Amino acid sequence: MIRLAAAAFALFAAPLAAQDFSANSEAKTWNLYAEVPAKFDAKVVDVMCEITGDCPADCGAGDRQLGLLRSADNVLVMATKNNQPAFTGAVVDLLPYCNQDVTVDGLMINDEDFPINNVYLVQRIKAGDADWAKASQFTKVWATKNPDAKGKGPWFRRDPRINALIEKEGYLGLGLEIDKEFKEYLFE
Amino acid sequence: MNKVLAVILGLLATPALAAEGERIIVTGEIIDTWCYYSGVMGGPDSVVGSAHHTCALWCSASGIPIGLLAEDGTVYTILKLGPQDNATGGDTALTLASHTITADGMSYSRDGINYIVVEKVVEDMGIVNLTHEDYDVIPPFAIPEPKE
Repeated sequence: MIRLAAAAFALFAAPLAAQDFSANSEAKTWNLYAEVPAKFDAKVVDVMCEITGDCPADCGAGDRQLGLLRSADNVLVMATKNNQPAFTGAVVDLLPYCNQDVTVDGLMINDEDFPINNVYLVQRIKAGDADWAKASQFTKVWATKNPDAKGKGPWFRRDPRINALIEKEGYLGLGLEIDKEFKEYLFE
Repeated sequence: MNKVLAVILGLLATPALAAEGERIIVTGEIIDTWCYYSGVMGGPDSVVGSAHHTCALWCSASGIPIGLLAEDGTVYTILKLGPQDNATGGDTALTLASHTITADGMSYSRDGINYIVVEKVVEDMGIVNLTHEDYDVIPPFAIPEPKE
């Protein structure tokens, strides 16, 4: 009985203890102040479903944030960023793996003092015997969804919704008059 | 023994169940959580408000999680923003980037992350955090230099 209780205690204690998932990680550094390479097994989950119990079959089809329910300790990791240095989230990359068990490799950010907990930049994903897939699909998917936004420059300079808001409220979001004055100061 | 095992299994199953929420009304700024947490653009004070507004638009549009930075410093990751719109790249999230709002919703906490499901934006105060006065613009290339 005591051994059983000890085992149960150990299982509960696991998520609370700082675990090292850096072994065998091939994650590339982004030179972020609190980054730690982290490779782990997880289930791709709809965070809203995990938190509230509201669970559509398709993880929200791209409309919901996706997380990684880590197999080793049942911790819900927030998949915040994909591997593209282009202001891009991770939902597009993880959605094909909705409710599947995968292995991910990337950078974990934890800082007890901030505090920051379980924020993750996913760099690559592996499902079963398949090859590793780079978590770099956002711009391809964006281009498919925005065929009329072709042109030079990165996606975020050509995105119709972003450009419409900037055209209406300026780069500072404070109105075009303030924007004009600020740009005169900035580029004088 | 069987009863003990049943209790243990029941407790182990608990994390898989939905967390218990609490209804809150909270005022704060809608922020880009990646830049705020990662430090990729600089310290947390520089990646909020007007200085970071354009970058916040970029990140929100791509589906990076948005957060509600409350007046007490708590960050709530926003899972839903209003009754009809999602918080992942949705139009409402984009329109409210960098705005200070009062939200009525359910808050949850799990594994060190606070979450909020916003049922209603009670008040939208617009952008009131004028960080461009201290930081100009973050990142510096957010506003393209005028062509000669």
